[in-house]
Parts: sequence; C-alpha cells; structure tokens
Amino acid sequence: MTQIALSNLGKKFGSFTALAQMNLTIGDGEFVALLGPSGCGKSTTMNMIAGMVDPTEGDIRFDDRSILDVPMSRRGVGFVFQNYAIFTHMSVRENLAYGLRAQGVSASERNRRVNAMADLLQLSPMLDRRAAGLSVNILQRLAIGRSAVVEPAIFLLDEPLSNVDAAFRSVMRSELKALQRQFSQTLVYVTHDQLEAMTMADRIAVMDHGKLLQVGTPLEIYNNPQDVFVARFIGSPGMNILEGTIASSDEGKLVDLASTGRSAPLALSDRAASQGLPEKVLFGFRPEQVNPDPNGTMALPVNFVERIGARTILHLGGDGIEAKAVLDNQIAMPSIGDILRFSIDPKMVRLFDPVSGIAIGGDI
Amino acid sequence: MNGVSVKKADIAVLPQDNAGSEEKRLGFWLTLPAQCLVLFIAVFPILMQLYISMTDWSPLDGIPWYRAYELWIGFINYTDLASDSRFWAAMWRTFLVMIVCVPIQFLLGLGLAVLFVDEFPGKRWFYSTLLIPMMVVPAVAGYMFFLLFQSGGPVNDLLSLFSASPVKIAWLSDPSLALVAVMAADIWQWTPLMFLILLAGMISVPQDQQMAAVLLGASWGRRFFTIVLPRMKTIIIIALAIRTIEIFKIFDTLYIMTGGGPGVATETISVYIYKVTQQDLIWGYVAAIALAILIVLSVISAIAISKMSKGANAR
Amino acid sequence: MRRSLPFELLRYAMILLIIAISLVPTLWMLSMAFKPIAEWSASGAALTWWPENPTLDNFRFIFGQSSSELIVSLERTAARPIVASLLAAIVGTLIAMTAGTAAAYGLSRFGKGNNLPLALIQLRLFPPMAVMIPLMIMWSFLGLIDNWFGLAVVYGIVTLPFAFWLMKTFFDDMPREIEDAALVEGCTRLRVFAVITLPMMRPALASSALFVFIMNWSDYLIALLLTTRDWVTIPVYMTSLSSSMTGQLYGAKAALGLIAAIPPVILGIAIQKHLVRGLTLGALKE
Repeated sequence: MTQIALSNLGKKFGSFTALAQMNLTIGDGEFVALLGPSGCGKSTTMNMIAGMVDPTEGDIRFDDRSILDVPMSRRGVGFVFQNYAIFTHMSVRENLAYGLRAQGVSASERNRRVNAMADLLQLSPMLDRRAAGLSVNILQRLAIGRSAVVEPAIFLLDEPLSNVDAAFRSVMRSELKALQRQFSQTLVYVTHDQLEAMTMADRIAVMDHGKLLQVGTPLEIYNNPQDVFVARFIGSPGMNILEGTIASSDEGKLVDLASTGRSAPLALSDRAASQGLPEKVLFGFRPEQVNPDPNGTMALPVNFVERIGARTILHLGGDGIEAKAVLDNQIAMPSIGDILRFSIDPKMVRLFDPVSGIAIGGDI
Repeated sequence: MNGVSVKKADIAVLPQDNAGSEEKRLGFWLTLPAQCLVLFIAVFPILMQLYISMTDWSPLDGIPWYRAYELWIGFINYTDLASDSRFWAAMWRTFLVMIVCVPIQFLLGLGLAVLFVDEFPGKRWFYSTLLIPMMVVPAVAGYMFFLLFQSGGPVNDLLSLFSASPVKIAWLSDPSLALVAVMAADIWQWTPLMFLILLAGMISVPQDQQMAAVLLGASWGRRFFTIVLPRMKTIIIIALAIRTIEIFKIFDTLYIMTGGGPGVATETISVYIYKVTQQDLIWGYVAAIALAILIVLSVISAIAISKMSKGANAR
Repeated sequence: MRRSLPFELLRYAMILLIIAISLVPTLWMLSMAFKPIAEWSASGAALTWWPENPTLDNFRFIFGQSSSELIVSLERTAARPIVASLLAAIVGTLIAMTAGTAAAYGLSRFGKGNNLPLALIQLRLFPPMAVMIPLMIMWSFLGLIDNWFGLAVVYGIVTLPFAFWLMKTFFDDMPREIEDAALVEGCTRLRVFAVITLPMMRPALASSALFVFIMNWSDYLIALLLTTRDWVTIPVYMTSLSSSMTGQLYGAKAALGLIAAIPPVILGIAIQKHLVRGLTLGALKE
C-alpha cells in the first residue's frame, strides 16, 4: 500500500537521453499504465522504480521516502517480467516460496502463505509440478503469485502480455484486472498496446522520446489528447490531423482546410476564446466522428475501403492529405474513387498548435 | 566400445524421391573421407590392439605383427594386469592428480567467472591475458615449470622471502614433492579452460531470472546458489568431464618436468604406458593396458557425451 | 544496479593478483631466454628476475652460431625442427579441415541418423596413448616413421573431431534459405557449396583452421613416438638439447620454448571468441 512519486526523474546513457523531467504521482492502490512506442522511456522508468537502473537526475519516493539508496532487494517491489522469469528448474511451490525463504520467513508461516496464495490463484493442483512446461496463463499467475506472496509495496508489470498470442490476450487481460482487484495493490503496467492500457488502467501515462506527454484516465486521454502525438497514438485508427488556417465567418471562427473544404463554425471553450487562436492550426477529429452528409462542408476522395465486420474503415485523402473514417455498415457505403462529403460535430473538433503540437485551449 | 563402430551412411533410396536420393548420395560422399580416417585410426587399430593384447608379441621377437598369433597367450596379459602393482600405483597417482587438480581448477575457474561476469573497464584485456597459460604448448609449459621448481629457482626464491634461511627445496627430485609440482603445473595450465567454459555458462544464465530473485529479496549468495549454479549444471558437468578425461591423458608437461620420476614418484598412467612401450618393449602387454584404460574412459565419456548433446540441443 | 566501490576495488585486486601469478612461469622463461650463460643457473642471492646483461646469444646458439661463452656446437640446429613442426602442423590442419568440413557440410545439410558425429567425439576423448601400439606398428609397416607426412596424417586424424564439430556448428548456424534460393535457380549442390557456402564460411573456416593448427602445433607425444631424428618437431628437439653431454642448456631451451609458445598464444587470442565452441566440440557457443 504505497504511493509512488517520481519527481524530475531523468536518465542519460552517455549522450543519449532515455528519460527526462518525468513527474508522476501514482496513488495508493492505483493501476497506472505507462504507454508508448518502444524506446519511449517507459521501461527505463520502470527499471528505475525497481532499482535495476539508477537515475541520473531526480528522485523516486515511496510514501514520501526517497528510495534511491535502497538496494533493489529491499525495495519491496514485485516485478513481473515480460517472459515471467519463472525459475523453471524449481517446482511451482519452490517458486512461490522463493521470496519468503529469501526473507527468512519461518517454515510454517511460509507454508501457510504459499498455500493461501496457491488457493487464491488456483495453483494448488500443480504445486509440486516442475515449473518448466506450464501453460502461459499459469505462468502469468505464478509470476504474479510469486511476487504477491511477499506482499510487496507495489507491483510493476513489464509488458506481460507481449508473448501471448492475440486470441488469448483478452482472457489474460481480464484475469490480470481481476487479480489486481483482489490484491488492491499499487500497480504500474508498462505496455505499447493501447488496448491493454485502455481496458485495464485507472490512469494512463502516455510517453514518447523520453518524455511524459499526458496523464489521465483512459477516457480523458481518448477524448482530450493534450498533444498531437497522443491524439494520433490513441485510438485505432488514431485521430485525423489536418493542417488548416483560422478563418472568420458570420457565425464565428472556423478552420479553412484548403482543398478539403472548411469546418463548421468552431465551438470554442472560454479558455481558447480568451487565449486567442494562432493563424495556422492542426485540425483534429476522430475517424468515428466523420459524419457522411451530402450537405457537409468537407469532402475527400475515397482511396480504399477496408471492411472489418461490423464497421468499415475508409481511407481518404490525396495531395498529401490523409484521413480515415470509421462508419457503421448500415449506411450506404461509398466506393473507391467516390468523393465523400461529410461534416464533423463542432464539439468533437480538437485543435493543436502546429509548432508545439500542444492542444489549444484544453477542453473545447 | 560404445559408439565407436561406424555405420556407413544410409544410402537406401526412396524410389519416388529422386532429388532426395541425390542429396543422400552427396551426403555419403562428403562424409566418406572422415569416415575412412576414423576407420583408419580408431576402428582398425582397436581391433589390432585387441589381437595383439592376446599375444606375448614384442617388436624385438623378429616376427611381423600379423604373425603374432604364434605367441598366442589368451587372457594372460589381462590377468597379469590385475596383479601389476606398478600399474595400480600409476592408476592411483592419476586418480590423486584428478581429485586434487579438477576441484581446484573448478573452484578457481568459477571464482574467476564470478569476477568476470559483469562488464567493467579493462575486462577484455584481463580476459585475454588470463587465457595465455592454456595456449602455451604443454611441452613448453612443462619446461617452464621445470625451470621454476629448480632448487635455485624462483619458487624457492619466493619462499625464502617468508623464511629466515634461504629455502633449498629440491622439488623435482624429492619423491613426495615432485607430484605437487606436477599438480601445480596442471592447475596453472588448465584453470583458464575451466574459467572459459564456466564463464560462457554463467553469461548464458538468463538475466531476468537473476533479477527476479534479487527483487524477491535474495542476497548475492542465495541468487548464486539457487539460480546461477543450478542453471549452469549441464555446463559444469561438461567442464568437469573434459578435465577429468584430460587428466588421464596428462603426459607432455609431466614427462618433461620429471620424466615420471624420481623413481616412479610421478608416474601416471600415460607415462607408465609410454615407459612400458619404449623401454620394456612388451607390446602385447601394453596393448592390454591400453584397452583396459579405453574401457574406463569410455564409461566417463559416455556420460559426457550424453550431457554434451543435451547441452547442444538446449541451445 | 548500483555496485559498491569496495567491491570494484576487490575485483581488480583479485584479478591482478591472479594474472600476476599466472604470468610468472611465462615471464620467467622469457627472462631466461635472454640471459647469458653466467646467469642461467645463478641461484639464491645471485638469482636475478630479469637478465642483467640481456643477450640474443641463446637464439643465435640454437640456430648454430656459437659465441664466446657458448662454445658448444650443436649437432643439429633448430631450423629443421621448426620446419618439421610447421610442415606437420599445417598439412595436418589441411587434412583435418578438408575431411572435417566436407563431413560437417554433409551431415549439417543431409545427415540424419549417422553415427559419425558420435564416433568423432569418442575419438577426441580417448587418449592417443591408447592406440599407440597399433599406430606404431602400422606406421612402421607403411614406412611412415620419422616422416613429416606420416606425422601430419596422424595430426589430421587426431584433430579431425575439432574441425568437424566446429564447422558443423558454423554450418548449422548458417541460414539455409540462401542456399535454397540458389538451388531453386538451378545450381547444383556442389556449385552452391563452392560458390555460395564456402565464401560465406570464410571467417568460420579461418577460425577453425587456426584452432586446429594450435592443437597440432602443441603436440609432443605423437611426435615423440613417430619421429626419431630427421623430422623431430620443436618440443622433441627441445628435450634432446639437454641430453647432450654439455648438461642443461637452460637459456637455449628457453629461447626455443619461446619460439614454440608464441604462435599459439597469438593465434589463440585472435580466435578467443570461438575457443569455447571448439574446446567443448560445439556443445557451447559463446
């Protein structure tokens, strides 16, 4: 039961900066996912929390106590490795008892806790089997149980589902989430798969190139990306971003998208209105928000039609413009070469600064 | 002889698979030279050895070897062997060298591997330097130690630093010390081999398992004894088997240092066979000894081979 | 992981200590090789760790040039044994590598259920001493005693297992797709082997050949058994130096030992990446 605070955390490997200026507080019992493409610094962050890597800047605190001088064997961190790192030369029982034995827990107490953990994780029938050759979901449970049995302050999970085939992942995801509820433990989960982050985490921290870009609940991240990278990264497919210029009309300000057309008048938040708008903006909208409309103010040619069952993805664009639209199958589907006319609900439009990539005006 | 018999490559041809049969034939021709050489040095000589060991033949008798049957004595050589005290003493000495040298080499090699398993500045240089002894020609190594252990040599000179009067130990001519000097040479030359193999094994122990153990609170020692060592089991067995077998072959270093002497004080099994061959010239008897040794070694090597192929498959 | 400074210092201290000990024998012989005759057997207080008057006389001596101090003249110089060692080791290496590479390729590509690999391990494990008698009988029957070629053939056979296993693991590591592509193009197997596989294997062949050469060069026993006079190798010649009536020629032997020791040490360090693979017959790769 621990709160983790990362302040100005940074790591340089020689001249390469793996992580810079990371500030994040993870609440007691919270499930936080560190999400980003490979090389974004998420694993470095996690390894520093565990003590496998020493930071070059900043501090890590568990419940307001700096742990930088605490060796990794004393940090009380339960770590689940990507491939689970099960001790395959031992039995399931020996795996579960390993941490207790290392910490000098008495034999009777050890037995009691191992048996209790095995019951909880439904590992009891295979306690005396060798850990080699167990199936992957049992290995996952064993890896979590092996860490949980020593009652760590926090859990760190490093892409635990990346070696699992796609069909099995949803099963593993729900199992993991259920386990976290059982332990109600602070948990940091590293992944590059947004689906895992979105479905399991309380909050998501999106990272790229060694920087923390945004922290928020899955819905916040999805609805109000604070950064154009987050906007494109989250969602499948990600948010469409078109270059445009601010123009004025009788009904208010709107975005001129050149050959694509022009947007409906913007529904600006008070903050955006008071801040004022730059001349050029990035115009963002979710593919799901594309609303086919014969009277729409925007139009793009259809390049490709991708049918994925219940929904269809249209690849739109030309002349250096690229966008996607996700439509339900009920409506009449345009075909390749057609021009799709559409409109976007002004409330669903997100604007970004083309230079800094930061969202304009926060919530619109 | 387990495994020594060489079967010809299976050239049975599946009629419907023409390309396959051509490949098989090519495979047969490619292995033929090696097969012939093995036949030439292993299978044929061993049969010949078996034949001669049943006779009282000696090159001095003036009968060519293929007519050795004229001196047929059956199993007499083998029964003689059982009561040959010089043979058993040589066996015992070989065994003694083995039980002293192999564990010391193993522990030193393991300790060095622990020192070298992490990255640190200068590692490559230290590593290369440490390997030098095993590259030195064994006969030359024998001469090096012959020089070191002279009564006026550097070993005594170093020992004199710790004693009031100059040390004048006649290492190589003292029957009780000569074997110590021989063992020192073996340990010097072959610890690097242990180190090399054990380090390769230690590096291949998965890093995340070691980290997992540490994160669970394991001390360095617990991690080493419960994760690292058990995971190196196969490699340790291979390393020990190689050294154990090599001890039976120990000859060059020893023969140049002491010639097996003084008297027979450092006569190990290889030196004994050599001496009986060169000096006593009773070759029928030598053939019997050699075959007996071969059988002993085959048992050890059978174990080593099964471990080696397991090790190769695991990779 | 954070490492403590005391531990690092301890690591260096222990490594340096062990290296120092392990270098003493080699350095002592090195020193001996450059000592003049007066310092050879100096002992006790007179013992010097480094030659006080370093000289090349020992090297000159073994090549037949006597000096004012070493007035003994040698019956035979070291030149011929060096040639013998080189010739036998190189030809032995060629034999082992040719037969070993062919067999390794054959078994790596189309060998299933063949006993040869096991037989070769066995061959490596049993002591040459064990087949000494038949070998000597066969070689004298064939007139190959004291003949560099006879020695080279034995070297080739003794080191064949190393050549075979090294090359087999290298062939096993090589992706087959490259060969398959050429086969599909209509090349014959032999052509693929000659034009594609062998050139790709050049570094592997070089390392294996050097490894095998070191083993052949290091032999003493086989040469002791199979050569008598004309084709004795360096180590055999070296021991004969002391049996002359002049007594121990310490410095001369050390100089010769140095000549024998240098090539394998340099070559061994050059191929150290593959030493584990070779010494464990491919069971371990680094």
